[in-house]
Amino acid sequence: MSGSAVVSSRRSPWPARTRRIRRGLLIGLLIGGGFLMMVPFLWMVTTSLKTRAEVFAVSPTLLPANPRWENYADMWNALPFAAFFVNSVKIAVLNTVGQLISCSMAAYAFAALRFPFRGPLFAVLLVTLIIPFQVVLVPNFILYRLLPHPFSTSGNWIGTQEPLWVGAFLGAAFGTFLLRQFFLTIPRELGDAARVDGANPWQIYRLIYLPLARPALATLAIFTFMWSWNDFINPIIYLRDIPSFTLTAGLSLFQGQYVGRWPLLMAGALVSVIPMIALFIVAQRHFVRGIALTGIKG
Amino acid sequence: MTVGRRGPSARGGGPLGGEGRWALLFLAPTIIGLAILSAGPILATLAISLTKWDLLRAPQFVGVDNFVNLASDDRFLKALRNTAFYTVVSVPLGMVIALFLALALNQTIRGIAWIRTAYFLPVVTSTIAIALVWQWIYSPDAGLLNQFLGVFGIAPRTWLSDPTLAMPSIVAMSVWQGLGTDVIIFLAGLQSIPAELLDAASVDGAGRWARFRHIVLPLLTPSIFFTGILSLIDSFQVFDQIFVLSRPRPSEATITVVYFIYENGFKFFKMGYATAASWVLFLIVVFFTAIYFRSQNRWVHYQ
Repeated sequence: MSGSAVVSSRRSPWPARTRRIRRGLLIGLLIGGGFLMMVPFLWMVTTSLKTRAEVFAVSPTLLPANPRWENYADMWNALPFAAFFVNSVKIAVLNTVGQLISCSMAAYAFAALRFPFRGPLFAVLLVTLIIPFQVVLVPNFILYRLLPHPFSTSGNWIGTQEPLWVGAFLGAAFGTFLLRQFFLTIPRELGDAARVDGANPWQIYRLIYLPLARPALATLAIFTFMWSWNDFINPIIYLRDIPSFTLTAGLSLFQGQYVGRWPLLMAGALVSVIPMIALFIVAQRHFVRGIALTGIKG
Repeated sequence: MTVGRRGPSARGGGPLGGEGRWALLFLAPTIIGLAILSAGPILATLAISLTKWDLLRAPQFVGVDNFVNLASDDRFLKALRNTAFYTVVSVPLGMVIALFLALALNQTIRGIAWIRTAYFLPVVTSTIAIALVWQWIYSPDAGLLNQFLGVFGIAPRTWLSDPTLAMPSIVAMSVWQGLGTDVIIFLAGLQSIPAELLDAASVDGAGRWARFRHIVLPLLTPSIFFTGILSLIDSFQVFDQIFVLSRPRPSEATITVVYFIYENGFKFFKMGYATAASWVLFLIVVFFTAIYFRSQNRWVHYQ
């Protein structure tokens, strides 16, 4: 079945009717598979509208008899979810802005400038790309614990949100790699011509490379936003006060406090994933392009 | 916006003259980041791993004691074994399913974009939220899976607490969640295969299977290689789903290496011990990545 899929639209020795049936079957299977993929999401939605009695009923139902919308209000008020939301947005936006600036600058240098140690430096960056980030979890924690912080109660950065985004302004291997690949496709002559006209590298970067790289920047922005939004291990390591939690950390706390209260837990899970689902549906093209860009033209 | 107006006359001269100085400006954030947040700390972990350090008292040099202790720490050995099981099962399983899906989804029919979205959606949603849903699906009382199996008269099971079922259950959820990434990469690879090549093969009488085996599959090997490396690195780092699905604390059946690092570093504040474990993880990743890269001459065909 699989081999046929690639080539089913091409010339085939089979009569037209058989081909139509095969195609119909394939589409049916795809839709069925797609539905299967969606089951956990649908289960999350229907559960979030049920009463506790319905969830644990002897003969359970698929759909709630009367959707209980109050579950959402109960969930929202059980923990400071509004604050979690604001925190997640704030940290994701800062990460995105930070990476766009720092990665595009580094990528421009690697793609368009000639300087000593360019190769070795790029190699070091690539090595950090394959290193599991958990390896630096402990030393980073120690570093942030040593750094003084003017506004935190502990006096250092632990318990503040800063460790979750400041690093984004100091470069990132994936983003630099992705943008460099894109910058390399921009003809050098464009920059050279501007240079003859008296432009300096900063102006070339700002006025030629950045505008041309808009699709790649959009891709990086979306990926960074998603990673930050979905990050879990860093928030649970660095955040201490509940009001400073992100949605993932808050959801985990919620899970611990409301064991077995599935309708509320599902409502919380749904609220936390909706922004990413919306972003994905709007920007699906960029997601797909981003993975293809870094993957295939490596 | 205009930082240092320098004309073309400023080019050349000295190793850091002209472009070199500009490069330093553009790379300053990245170089600082490498020094204090990634490459530097990796070197620092070497030193930390040789100490006993609870962050309250000064670090105490203990030589290779941490590594020796790891070798006889049953929980760590279980973590290694579980991570290996997770990798060995989830990586090939995910890739094979994704390959079949990509072949099937590589169609030009109306509405295919919506069908594809269904497969991609789990990728963009947080593992924490997704794992919470799966915890409910796997729930021994009234969970969807037991209810569904009950229809066929299969007795309910405790999916997440039964030691033999716990890890496979976590793998199943992870494969479901990760499929979309591999599918995207495979689809991009499939779409870069020239149609003329397949047409020419048909004209020469190659059947479906022959075209798949001798044209599509070889041309897809770079994509397969790439998804392999991504999934491999990813699977060594599995943490979020363990955290949620093995609450309150993973048993020896589901603890993974990263959870072990987290637990020792940030629950028990054994910084030296956690760092030693992270070095073992690092070496394992490097070892398998290197082998994997070396193998590519044998099976990856670049156009």
